[in-house]
Amino acid sequence: MQKLELKKVNKIFGAKSNQVQALKEVNFEARSGEVTLILGPSGSGKSTLLTILGGLQQPTSGEVWINGERFDGKKGKAADAFRLDHIGFVLQSYSLVPYLTVNDQFTLVDKVKKTGQIDKQTFQGYIDRLGIDKLRHKFPGELSGGQSQRAAIARALYANPDFILADEPTAALDSERVAEVGQLFKDIAEKAEKAVVIVTHDLRLREKADRIYQLVDGQITIEKS
Amino acid sequence: MFLALKEMKKEKLRYGLVIGVVLLVAYLIFMLSALAQGLSGQNTAAVNSWQSQSIMMSKDANGNLAQSMLTAKDLPVQSKQNKTDRVGLAQGILKVGDARQAATFVGLQKGATIRQTIQLTEGRLNRGDHEIVLSDALRRAGFKLNQEVKMGMFTDHYRVVGFAKAAFYNMSPVVYGDLSDWAAIKGVNSEFVGSGLISQENQHAEKSNEQILNKNELFNKMPGYSAQNMTFAFMIGFLVVISIVIVAIFLYILTMQKIENLAVLRAQGIPTSYLLKNTLAQTMLIMLIAVGLGTFLAALTGMVVPMAVPMQFDPKLMSVSAILLVLTGLFGAIIPMRIIAKIDPISVIGG
Repeated sequence: MQKLELKKVNKIFGAKSNQVQALKEVNFEARSGEVTLILGPSGSGKSTLLTILGGLQQPTSGEVWINGERFDGKKGKAADAFRLDHIGFVLQSYSLVPYLTVNDQFTLVDKVKKTGQIDKQTFQGYIDRLGIDKLRHKFPGELSGGQSQRAAIARALYANPDFILADEPTAALDSERVAEVGQLFKDIAEKAEKAVVIVTHDLRLREKADRIYQLVDGQITIEKS
Repeated sequence: MFLALKEMKKEKLRYGLVIGVVLLVAYLIFMLSALAQGLSGQNTAAVNSWQSQSIMMSKDANGNLAQSMLTAKDLPVQSKQNKTDRVGLAQGILKVGDARQAATFVGLQKGATIRQTIQLTEGRLNRGDHEIVLSDALRRAGFKLNQEVKMGMFTDHYRVVGFAKAAFYNMSPVVYGDLSDWAAIKGVNSEFVGSGLISQENQHAEKSNEQILNKNELFNKMPGYSAQNMTFAFMIGFLVVISIVIVAIFLYILTMQKIENLAVLRAQGIPTSYLLKNTLAQTMLIMLIAVGLGTFLAALTGMVVPMAVPMQFDPKLMSVSAILLVLTGLFGAIIPMRIIAKIDPISVIGG
C-alpha cells in the first residue's frame, strides 16, 4: 500500500512580529486506492500543505513520510528524482507548456525519466476517458480551459506516480466535466491503486472522496475517513 | 535539446528575429574583418610576397622605407650576402595621357632575389631599364600591357611589360622597375643608390646611421597602419561584446516570459540541470544558425563585392572568428541560466 503522511507538521513564514503560522500541528494521511479531499477557504493553508506534501518546500517542524521513507529531508536532485518517481502534480492555470503539443507534454517526461512510465494501453485508456485523444497534436493555446485541465491530468498520470496531488483541478470545468473528472480520479485511485489528494473548495467533488479533511487557519480536522 | 527545438519550432518569428539580429552582427563582424584584412593587405602584400625577414634603412627615415635614402658609403658589407636585395622605393604619380594614378615604384637590381617572388598574372618581368611591371590593381584601373607611361619626376617613358598580384605597399599599388631608374623617378642625384636592403635573413646594423627592422616593425611604422588596425580591432571587439549583450537581453526576456512554465516543469520534478542544458543548447543553436548564415552571407558578398573594395575573405580567419563568436555568444546564456537555476516551483501552486 502506498501511503503519504504528515506528522505534527508546522509551517511558519516570516520572523518575529511578521510571523505567520500557515500550518499548525497538521497530521494527515493519504492512501493508495483512495481519493482524499482537502477543503478549505482561501488563505487556509491548502497550497502550503500541498507544496509540503509534494516536497516543494520543507516544514518548519514535523515529518513527511512517503511509503515509509522520510521525505522532508530530501533536497535538490534527490527531491527532484523522488518527486518525478512518486508524485504527479495537476495544477491550476498555465500548467501546460505553451510551445509543446499535448503529446509532447507527456513525452517530455521520457527525456528525464527513462523507466517506470505508465504502459501505453493504460495511458490510452485515460486519454480516451479524458476525451483528449483528438487533441494530442494541438498546442495549449488551441485548447479550452477544460481541455487544458484534462491534458494536465493526463500529463500527471504519464509518469505513473504513486500519488497525484491536484490543486483546484476542476476550477475551469463545468458541472458535467467535474463529475467526469471526479469519477476519473476515483477510478485512478481504485483501479490504478494510486493515492489522489485534491486541494479544492469545489464541493461538487465531495461525493467522490473517500477521505475528507477540512483546513481552516492552518488547523486540519478530518471530516470523513 | 528537446525543449529548445520544440520552442524554436513553435515560436519561429520570435527566434527568427533573435537569429536575424545576431546574424546581422556576425555578418558585420565578418565584413569588417574582411575589410581590415584587405586594407592591411594593401599595406603589407608586397613585403609579405618578398618573404622578407629584415629591412635595413637609414635611421633618419624613422622606419619609413619610402623616405629612406642610402649612399654607396652607407651600404654595409652584408649587402653582398645572398637573399639580400638593395631596393629603391619612390612614391609618385603614374601618368598616361590625362590619367593619373598614385603608385609606389620599387626598383630592383637585375639579379635580385625579390624578382623571383613576384607573381605575374600577365606578361613578363622587366629585363632592362625603362620597363616596368605594374600591380594587378593598375590593370583594373585601365593600364594595359605594352602601354607607354611616365612615373614620378622622370620624363622618359616606361613600357608596361607585365602585371603582378600581391603588389601593394602602404596602400598604393606597386610598380616594379629597374633600380637604375629609381633615382630619376624619385628626383634625387646619383649619389643615392637606394632606399634600403631587404633580406630573407636577419641583418645586423653595422653603422650608426643604419636601422634594422623586422617585417612587423616595418608595417607598424607605415603611416596610418597601426591606427587603421587598432580601429578595426576595436570595432570588431565592440561588435563581439554587443552580440553577447544582444543574446543576453533576448534570452533574458524570453526566459522571463516562460518562467511560470519552467516553474511548472520544476514542480513536476524536471531537474534544473535539464532546463539549464536546454537553455545552453538553445543558445548554441541560435549562435550556430546565426553565425552559419552570417558566414554564408559574407561569403556571398565576397563573390559580388567589386574588386575596388579592399576586402579579403580568409576562410581560416572566418572559421576561427565564427567559432569564437559562437563560444562568446554562450556567455549571453549566463544570466538566463542563473534565473532558471533559482526558479521556485512553489510560485505556480495556489493563487
